[in-house]
Amino acid sequence: MPSDLTFNNVSKRYIVRHEVDDDATKHPWIRKLNALRKRRDEFWALRDVSFTVERGETVGIIGHNGAGKSTILKLLANITAPTSGEIVINGRLSALIEVGSGFHPELTGRENIFLNGAILGMGRREIAEKLESIADFAGVKAFLDVPVKRFSSGMYVRLGFSIASHLDPDILLLDEVLAVGDAAFQEKCLQRIEGLRRAGTTIVFISHDLAAVERICDRVILMRRGEVAASGKPRDIISLYQQQIEPSRINTMKTAVEDDRAIIESLAFYTPSGLRPSVFHTGDPLVARIDYVAHHEVKDAVFEIFVRTGDLTEMCQLTTETSGSPINLPVGPGTLEFHCDELSLQPGMYHANVCVKERLASEAINWQYHAATLRVDPGRITRGQFYQSNRWKLLRQAQSATPAQNGAAEAERPPSARRPSLTPTT
Amino acid sequence: MALSEADLVAAGVGRDGPRRTKVIRPVAFSIRDLWAGLMGLSAYADLLVVLSAHRLKIRYKQSMLGIAWAVIQPVALMLIYTLVFSVFTRIKTPGVPYAVFAYAALLPWTFFSTSLTNATNGLVSHAQLVTKVYFPREILPISYIVAALVDLLIASIVMTGLMIYYHVSLTPQALWLIPVTLIMAAFTTACSLIFSAMQVRVRDIGMAMPLVLQLWMFGSPVVYSLRQVPERFRDYYLLNPMVGIIENFRSALLGNPIDSHSLVISTIMSVVLLPLSYLYFKRVEATVADVI
Repeated sequence: MPSDLTFNNVSKRYIVRHEVDDDATKHPWIRKLNALRKRRDEFWALRDVSFTVERGETVGIIGHNGAGKSTILKLLANITAPTSGEIVINGRLSALIEVGSGFHPELTGRENIFLNGAILGMGRREIAEKLESIADFAGVKAFLDVPVKRFSSGMYVRLGFSIASHLDPDILLLDEVLAVGDAAFQEKCLQRIEGLRRAGTTIVFISHDLAAVERICDRVILMRRGEVAASGKPRDIISLYQQQIEPSRINTMKTAVEDDRAIIESLAFYTPSGLRPSVFHTGDPLVARIDYVAHHEVKDAVFEIFVRTGDLTEMCQLTTETSGSPINLPVGPGTLEFHCDELSLQPGMYHANVCVKERLASEAINWQYHAATLRVDPGRITRGQFYQSNRWKLLRQAQSATPAQNGAAEAERPPSARRPSLTPTT
Repeated sequence: MALSEADLVAAGVGRDGPRRTKVIRPVAFSIRDLWAGLMGLSAYADLLVVLSAHRLKIRYKQSMLGIAWAVIQPVALMLIYTLVFSVFTRIKTPGVPYAVFAYAALLPWTFFSTSLTNATNGLVSHAQLVTKVYFPREILPISYIVAALVDLLIASIVMTGLMIYYHVSLTPQALWLIPVTLIMAAFTTACSLIFSAMQVRVRDIGMAMPLVLQLWMFGSPVVYSLRQVPERFRDYYLLNPMVGIIENFRSALLGNPIDSHSLVISTIMSVVLLPLSYLYFKRVEATVADVI
């Protein structure tokens, strides 16, 4: 198989000019003069990066912010040029970077499809042929002749994705695009990507969403400070990456609602003994610890954790709303733990959203999306959607015995002693 | 919902044809880049068409006078200059009324100044796109020039009316309009490429543009004719490529003899400037997303 993408010793340097704060008040000529004296700092976003992507492969690129992920994407998409090295691209490449950025509000849906399609590199005839399918996929067929400024934001985003996904590229670049639209549309997008993948499209997927990366990638490249740190099977590389993660300080950029009464600082998963493993197993006990800071007093607070899969199916919710006594948060930092005796989740990558709100309030005080990733490996092997924790007992088939009378014969064993193969169906 | 399996397989089959291989390297400043740039541009011809049409469309959407705006600007200027230069003070015009004389030069001048004003901001005003999607960036400034060319055609309708009204007839000289317009388009493109690329780093360019254009207009034979420029300044005066373009555009339209000396100078300057400006633009383009 030929390689579709080759990076040969690619480096990218950015020049950073530091502006001194009080400069703004000075005369522009004085600022110019200062700028001449100022040392221009160099920043190497990529340093001697080499890798290849084979035809039909789906490769994920992960790493911390600033590790060079977006730079790779920009270089591949030809948005900016490398400082040294060479990139070879075999075939038609298209990038799904931020959809809908080329829309003009005054133009109709139809006109915008032509405009955006052309910007993405489609010919007019090609667009005309696909027009129907594009509108259909986005669910805006009835609104084709309405200016897009009258579109809802959901329609806007769906139309953007729909156009881009109709490119039929040989190589597709994906960058966090799945963070748009509602859950149903996101599922549709993932299906579309899976479809392209099955049809042999080479895909480069750059994301923070480890669950989605594990779901769709054949191979993962881990970037660290502008260099390739590791490359290999998704599971191995993701767990390597997770081990590097500092006890998670949540990226505050992801705070959805601004309200500074209380802020959730981190969410992390521990064992009851306080260890922080990178992997949990189905059936393991788990402690979810929320660290928060209250800047104002909050009466009757409710904490909630939502666990979702890579394709955004909501798996379960942990909440203080329906149990225990009301929580009042005094000003200052605090910690709240949820204890789960046995993890019911089947093996996979999950991510957790966490929020704090006031009981009965419609808006949360603080929401953190993708606050933590939870990786579950096979532990207790069961079939079905989830592991149902259970105990079992063997009832003697004695002539006179009925279960009610035979309570003393209950065979209760500690969970650790049970072997998966013995787990009876209940 | 999503495509059926069969659709996707069909799409996959279509892909097995020959693939284009693209190699991305650091930017150089060579003839090879010029060629590669032009090849890339030709692959995006449809985008130029769509984007130029888009310029015209959005300009006239939600405006009451719509397409008439293409005419209003040159006509208004023509009226003002006619008032100033043929009523307040008299400028001698060879054989034709001043209104016709001025409008025949305002047509190409309006094309030039509108193109340049819009194109200079062409990259900066599309920062959103430029940092997100790749396409040959020169299409942005050039699309404004194409749109201005359409405006020129619309504004020419008024010229026809004026000529009929004042009994000025078209002569075979009018065929010169084609090469003169081509030279004008080439020079406008060259200026647009340079200024739009410079504007990315130095926003002063856009600030200065209205003033520069104002001065440039009075330094070109728009409200007066080339012959009225004193002989001793003539050599320096002709270094302005717009002189040969404006003067000969008017001469061709009104049936006056072509001034070959000034036309040759404009042609040489445009032909030399165009490839150089393109190379400069492509060089800036390579890292435009980092600085815009």
